[in-house]
Amino acid sequence: MTAVLETRALSVSYGGVRALADVDVEVGEGQLVGLIGPNGAGKTTWIDAVCGFVPATGETRLDGRTISGMPPTARARAGLGRTWQAAELFDDLTVRENLSVAADRRPMWRLVGEALTGRESDPPNVESTLELLGIGELADVAADELTQGQRKLVGVARALAPGPRVVCLDEPAAGLDSAESRALGQRLRQVVDSGVAMLLVDHDMGLVLGVCDRVVVLEFGRVIAAGPPEVVRRDPKVTEAYLGRAAQESQAILDASAIGTGT
Amino acid sequence: MEQVLAFALLGLGPGALYSGIALGVVLNYRGCGVINVAMGAIAALGAYVAYGLRTGGYLFLPPLPLVPAHVNFGGPVGVVPALVIAVLVCALTGLLLDVLVLRALRNASPLAKLMATLGLMLSIQAIILLRFGSSGQSAPDVLPNGPGDVVHLLGVTIPSDEFELAGIVAVAAFALVAIYRWTRFGLATRAASENETTAVLVGLPPARLSAMNTVLAASLAGALGVLVAPLTQLDSTTIPLAVVPALGAALLARFTSFGIAMVAGLGLGVIESLVTYLQSRPWFPTTHGAQLPGVADLLFFAIIVAAMYWRGGALPYRGSLVERRLPAVPKPVRLQRPAIVCAVLCITAFLLFTYDFRQAAINSLIGMLVCLSLVVITGFVGQISLLQVALGGVAAFAVSKLSMSAGIGFPLGPIFGVVIASLVGVAAAASALRVRGVNLAVVTLAGAVALQSFVFDNPTWGGGFTGSPVNPPHLFGVDLSTQASFPTGGGQLPSPVFGLVCTVAVIMAGLLVASVRRGRLGQQMLAVRSNESAAAAAGISVRNVKLLAFGLASALAGVAGSLYAYNFGSVTADRFGVVNALVFVSFAYVGGITSVTGAVLAGLGVTEGVFGHILEKWVGVPASYQLYVAGLLLMATLITLPEGIAGGRRPPPPIRAISRLIVGPGRARRTSAAVGATQGGATS
Ligand SMILES: Nc1ncnc2c1ncn2[C@@H]1O[C@H](COP(=O)(O)OP(=O)(O)OP(=O)(O)O)[C@@H](O)[C@H]1O
Ligand SMILES: [Mg+2]
Repeated sequence: MTAVLETRALSVSYGGVRALADVDVEVGEGQLVGLIGPNGAGKTTWIDAVCGFVPATGETRLDGRTISGMPPTARARAGLGRTWQAAELFDDLTVRENLSVAADRRPMWRLVGEALTGRESDPPNVESTLELLGIGELADVAADELTQGQRKLVGVARALAPGPRVVCLDEPAAGLDSAESRALGQRLRQVVDSGVAMLLVDHDMGLVLGVCDRVVVLEFGRVIAAGPPEVVRRDPKVTEAYLGRAAQESQAILDASAIGTGT
Repeated sequence: MEQVLAFALLGLGPGALYSGIALGVVLNYRGCGVINVAMGAIAALGAYVAYGLRTGGYLFLPPLPLVPAHVNFGGPVGVVPALVIAVLVCALTGLLLDVLVLRALRNASPLAKLMATLGLMLSIQAIILLRFGSSGQSAPDVLPNGPGDVVHLLGVTIPSDEFELAGIVAVAAFALVAIYRWTRFGLATRAASENETTAVLVGLPPARLSAMNTVLAASLAGALGVLVAPLTQLDSTTIPLAVVPALGAALLARFTSFGIAMVAGLGLGVIESLVTYLQSRPWFPTTHGAQLPGVADLLFFAIIVAAMYWRGGALPYRGSLVERRLPAVPKPVRLQRPAIVCAVLCITAFLLFTYDFRQAAINSLIGMLVCLSLVVITGFVGQISLLQVALGGVAAFAVSKLSMSAGIGFPLGPIFGVVIASLVGVAAAASALRVRGVNLAVVTLAGAVALQSFVFDNPTWGGGFTGSPVNPPHLFGVDLSTQASFPTGGGQLPSPVFGLVCTVAVIMAGLLVASVRRGRLGQQMLAVRSNESAAAAAGISVRNVKLLAFGLASALAGVAGSLYAYNFGSVTADRFGVVNALVFVSFAYVGGITSVTGAVLAGLGVTEGVFGHILEKWVGVPASYQLYVAGLLLMATLITLPEGIAGGRRPPPPIRAISRLIVGPGRARRTSAAVGATQGGATS
């Protein structure tokens, strides 16, 4: 199996602070990979580095082609999508416009021509993506009138609408209750099964361990464990580092979360 | 070599003025997140209060009903009491500004606050003009300046007040640093600029902190105004516009560091003086044997751009306060009907109006074009550009020069003019791509000053002091000029024909801007305005969108400039100067910076436009009072409608009624019921 997205020795420093140190992550074709770790572990930094928002050393490859050094727009156009921890929707636009402005990848001169002739056309995919995430009814609502949970879903839809090769989701379930979170998990699985590779960052252990094919665990900017969910769940390094409590207690919580998702 | 040193030191005095104003700007920004462009005007106010007291023994008052023009003290007042009273007047002005205006705008966009301080600046300038006339005065000495008050240094002799002034601003800067570091007031302000609740915990409410900072800033600027006035010309523009280099110095200090603001202000004064020295050298380029104007302004602009580039344009975001969004951007429901209605209205007006109203209507139409340019760049893309009026000037002078020296007339001349204006606009945008928000406002303001004084005031490239003539426009032998003969209109200037030409231009521009807003291009612009990072992550090229928007906005400004050229038959520099640039932005904001409707309202309101003419002719407000009224109205409108008249989501009822008549019924509206029905639907 070929990796759709991979990083090799990816490192990021903020001033003197090493936020990421030699991180190798691989997201294969048709795979859903979880990226977890305690607060400040560097998960968001990894996504920022991969998408070109912070300067990083090391290599990032998309479909085998190196994209290190490319600006964010070019990476997005090469098939890399992302969402943001704080949703970051386009608040001046409606939900549908949020999706179509992202999905429309035509060159600028075509758009200028459209403005001059006054003709409008919507890119394909927009309606189906809204349906896929179950937010069809929100299509004509202004983005700044949504609840936090809805904003996260629209953010996911906006990342998916252009039909990317791979998307990185930063805490899409924050702001959802556990039932909503489980429903989101199923929808994400559907997306992955339709052929989009995915990297999922979330603090909801039930969600991540429940739906992911593989899980990578970060702590202080380093990978401390990687593998299938059931292996990672049993890894004592993870239980200790991740929750920072007595190992047994955290084991109980991890087990409980596994039962919660019905796996 | 001695001469270089002498000139450098002679720059300390004016530099102290820049420094003092810059310190005031930084204080005011840290206190309540406002970029106060009135700080120079407040310094001028102080200078004039002291002037009135010391030369005539009176305190002048603003023109208000039932208020006398002067309070007499029965004889000239001494230096110290005059200085104290002047500082008190400035402090009171600062207090009123903070309590009456800034407090109401606490949650408004930074642009709205900046516009409000602009209203104060215009009012103060107008009061000075009304009370002291337009010819300058010379202020009596404050610091000792006799033949013996000189310093001998390394072989040169310099008046001692230059050093004293520099010393005063240095002491002021250190005092401010100390206050901010060690007093409860200073600590609370620093905390408040990061997080308002922290300041409440310290025990000082943010409103009082803001007022204290504004009063301190105004007093400081006022004191410097009094002290430096004897070294410069006392009139309604010189000291008020010293705010431009001062803003540059404050920008270099990131609106945060008192030390850097003080040093940068002095440095700019020294540079300006050195430029004067260089210009006295025989090898320095001249124009027609006269000095090249505006070299120092060009240099200031270059320094600011270079510094912004070098620093990466990082912004000091003030916690919750600065990141306010601009007003919402309504999506036009229809294009054809409003275009046809407006065209019919304009044509009828030009056929029926008398010559004076025709002239006012033409001024308004051209004003609408300038405001449409601002709608695109500021309303849609969120970039505050104060350069647009100057770009209009670039096109106007290009039209004039092409017509007079190359024989290129209508329509090729204006086409070239518009292209040149767009190119200059795009080049300016490319050099300031990473500068955003109010920082961009400061950079473009410096750019506008440089264009005005370096290019427009230059007798070869611009108009010099006499203006640059233009040949009237003809197309296929038809006279389109203001002198064209026409069956109606009584043969008086301007001809209705030229009014119709302006109508065509405005309707086409309005259609274009509305169509951009409706299409994908407009959505991309709004995406960039909302969130540049998210736009980039969504595959939108932020750079291309900005450059395109600047190009389009500059082209619209260029069309306006070309029409101005034909309107007056001659192009003068002051029409495209910074004061006009600021006035246009404020009208555009008050009308509604985010929509074509707003631009139309703004155009009707511009100076010498339709509203102004009605005020003058029917209400009886004399033209000399219009600037004063405009300044006060600007502040009053912003307090009541912080998003502008047509800018908010729900404009006032009369505006809605009129726009329904013009646009037609059936505006697409989102009801809150629709939102309610879908709440929680996300996961169903
Ligand atoms: N812009 C920045 N400047 C300086 N340090 C930063 C910056 N962004 C993040 N950091 C630091 O880098 C480290 C990693 O942060 P990051 O946001 O990637 O963590 P995270 O795993 O996403 O945490 P969370 O679960 O809280 O979202 C943290 O120590 C953080 O303080
Ligand atoms: Mg994070």
